[in-house]
Amino acid sequence: MTNPLHAAYYADSAVQQRVCVVENVPLARDTFRIRFHCPQIAKRILPGQFVMMRLNAGDDPLLARPLALYDTVLDGDQQPVGLDIVYLVVGKMTGRLAKLSAGSDMEVWGPLGNGFATPPTDHLLMVAGGIGQTPFLALARQYLGQRVYGGSPLRLTPPERVTLCYGARSGVYLAGVEDFEALGVRVRLSTDDGTCGHRGLVTDLLRRELDGAGEGTHVVCCGPEPMMEAVSQITAVAQVPCQVSLETPMACGIGICFSCVAKVRDGQGGWDYQRTCVEGPVFAAERIEW
Amino acid sequence: MPEEPTDPCSLEVQLGRLRLANPVLVGSGTFGYAREMEHLVDLGRLGGILPKTVTAEPRIGNAPWRTIETPAGMLNSIGLDNDGIEAFIQHHLPYLSRLAAPVIVSIAGRSRDEFVAMAARLDGLEGVAAIELNISCPNVSGGVDLGTDPRMCEKVVAGCRAACSLPVIAKLTPNVTDIQEIARAATTGGADAISAINTCLGMAVDWRKARPLLGNTLGGLSGPAIKPIALRIVYQIAAAVDTPIIGIGGIANVDDVMEFLVTGATAVQIGTANFYNPTATMTVLDQLPEALSQLGASSIPAIVGTLKT
Ligand SMILES: Cc1cc2nc3c(=O)[nH]c(=O)nc-3n(C[C@H](O)[C@H](O)[C@H](O)COP(=O)(O)OP(=O)(O)OC[C@H]3O[C@@H](n4cnc5c(N)ncnc54)[C@H](O)[C@@H]3O)c2cc1C
Ligand SMILES: Cc1cc2nc3c(=O)[nH]c(=O)nc-3n(C[C@H](O)[C@H](O)[C@H](O)COP(=O)(O)O)c2cc1C
Ligand code: FES
Repeated sequence: MTNPLHAAYYADSAVQQRVCVVENVPLARDTFRIRFHCPQIAKRILPGQFVMMRLNAGDDPLLARPLALYDTVLDGDQQPVGLDIVYLVVGKMTGRLAKLSAGSDMEVWGPLGNGFATPPTDHLLMVAGGIGQTPFLALARQYLGQRVYGGSPLRLTPPERVTLCYGARSGVYLAGVEDFEALGVRVRLSTDDGTCGHRGLVTDLLRRELDGAGEGTHVVCCGPEPMMEAVSQITAVAQVPCQVSLETPMACGIGICFSCVAKVRDGQGGWDYQRTCVEGPVFAAERIEW
Repeated sequence: MPEEPTDPCSLEVQLGRLRLANPVLVGSGTFGYAREMEHLVDLGRLGGILPKTVTAEPRIGNAPWRTIETPAGMLNSIGLDNDGIEAFIQHHLPYLSRLAAPVIVSIAGRSRDEFVAMAARLDGLEGVAAIELNISCPNVSGGVDLGTDPRMCEKVVAGCRAACSLPVIAKLTPNVTDIQEIARAATTGGADAISAINTCLGMAVDWRKARPLLGNTLGGLSGPAIKPIALRIVYQIAAAVDTPIIGIGGIANVDDVMEFLVTGATAVQIGTANFYNPTATMTVLDQLPEALSQLGASSIPAIVGTLKT
């Protein structure tokens, strides 16, 4: 199982394109939503997949950055023609991205990675920390049957409940909550400083949700690594299936540099480094050796 | 007078016993096992494909972080993460051998004997056009010693040359005092061509935590930042030996390719640019004939080493 040729996913529908920024608007503190036109990627991309984005501004920063699909943008005929990406400014590239105005161009390649598995479930429970909510809007929309991604609809009964447990440092960083609410998602918030929702950790919210009502629940999780590790422990104890979307730094996003590795269990008591960009970024939580 | 039908410009190059349709190759370790790229680039158009270096035994590779971006470059310490030569032959070679582009298998041994055994193992296998000896990887001790000691370099090259009928390319490290000495050793050993350069040893530090950023502390610098060093080394090798040179280091566009050819390289490998511009090789191939014609040339050999100093 350690043969890299058997990667779960290669960039088998990826294209590289120069794209034009349509808008780039603030959503919360240090957090923006950038929208760009790219029909070829938009019609193929699935929730949980990502794109690599590179500024056309010389060689520093040199490498592109991985950013998850927030949602597709539809034209008047309901055809996907663009992408929305929501990003937090943390460093060199995102800092410059925040200064791009409409009409600027960027180099983008995707769709990349595997995306979420979408088993039928009664309760889709999405657990996000920091900027980890970004892959969940499209996933919720897909589960609720409100949009088709990658050209084919999910043919399953929508979950009875879709919940987002979302934690951030402070209320000012919570981004896109209205987007989830507009879909009919139950939103449960937590902040470290208590400025919004529960004061404490998002894992407190998760425990509450799972308390005695774990059956039929499917958890998906994205956020800082310690939080994902905690969530995978909680779900393991509760015997609830859980997928995590790893945020390993990536240099290429397409499987050729071997820099984005995570320790993935081989099922025989050992582990192997696997490339999160082609084997992931989404993994069954129990497969990750934290 | 009717004009002679203009021959379409030929991009063919000869590297010792190895003939390639064009001089644009991809660097080992920067193109995975090629299959990853099949939807993004037309693999058959490449002058040659170098899959990631294989070793005799599987290697798990180094602990993360394995790469760090630096201004106009990146440091890596992947640590030759690979499943070993037998897994390569079983799982990767069948795919690679079906490609229209020649496949040059990059090998790294911990000793001369290990190199020779791997060369012998690859001899005669379908789909292997040549071997490149990675005697220059900074991420595994052993590798670097073979590429920094001229006598060892010669022995490894000569041993591999004797062990197989494939063209043999020696890939050199820039992390030496006298590159000409090593290039002469590779030539004496019988190398069909010399690839230069592998990455430049470097490091990155987080002063607040007083810790190195790479899991392996030291790593290899690549990308546009090292192009001047690579050009200098190609220039020095060309001055020392007649062995054809494959220039590597920071090549990202057709101008970079032309700089290396004029300086003395017969072919080039594109490395880090594949990471930040996956279609870089295709753009270079599209633009190369026009760049040649700007120099009034209609073949690669016509411009190789034409630098006036
Ligand atoms: C699949 C995937 C999807 C993602 N989706 C989103 C998203 O939707 N929205 C979003 O905001 N972010 C997302 N991220 C994270 C995003 O890629 C990073 O925040 C971004 O690359 C930061 O780039 P920068 O240049 O701004 O920061 P940088 O200047 O590169 O640095 C940011 C921070 O990362 C640290 N760092 C730098 N290099 C490494 C390394 N090699 N290993 C570990 N840490 C390192 C630095 O110390 C610094 O603290 C995603 C990541 C992945 C892998
Ligand atoms: C992430 C990474 C992995 C590499 N792995 C190998 C390798 O396995 N074998 C090898 O011979 N060179 C390896 N190299 C070196 C490149 O092939 C090339 O010699 C070097 O990066 C300089 O060229 P560039 O600046 O175009 O990348 C690697 C380089 C990088 C950046
Ligand atoms: S980011 Fe390059 S292999 Fe995953």
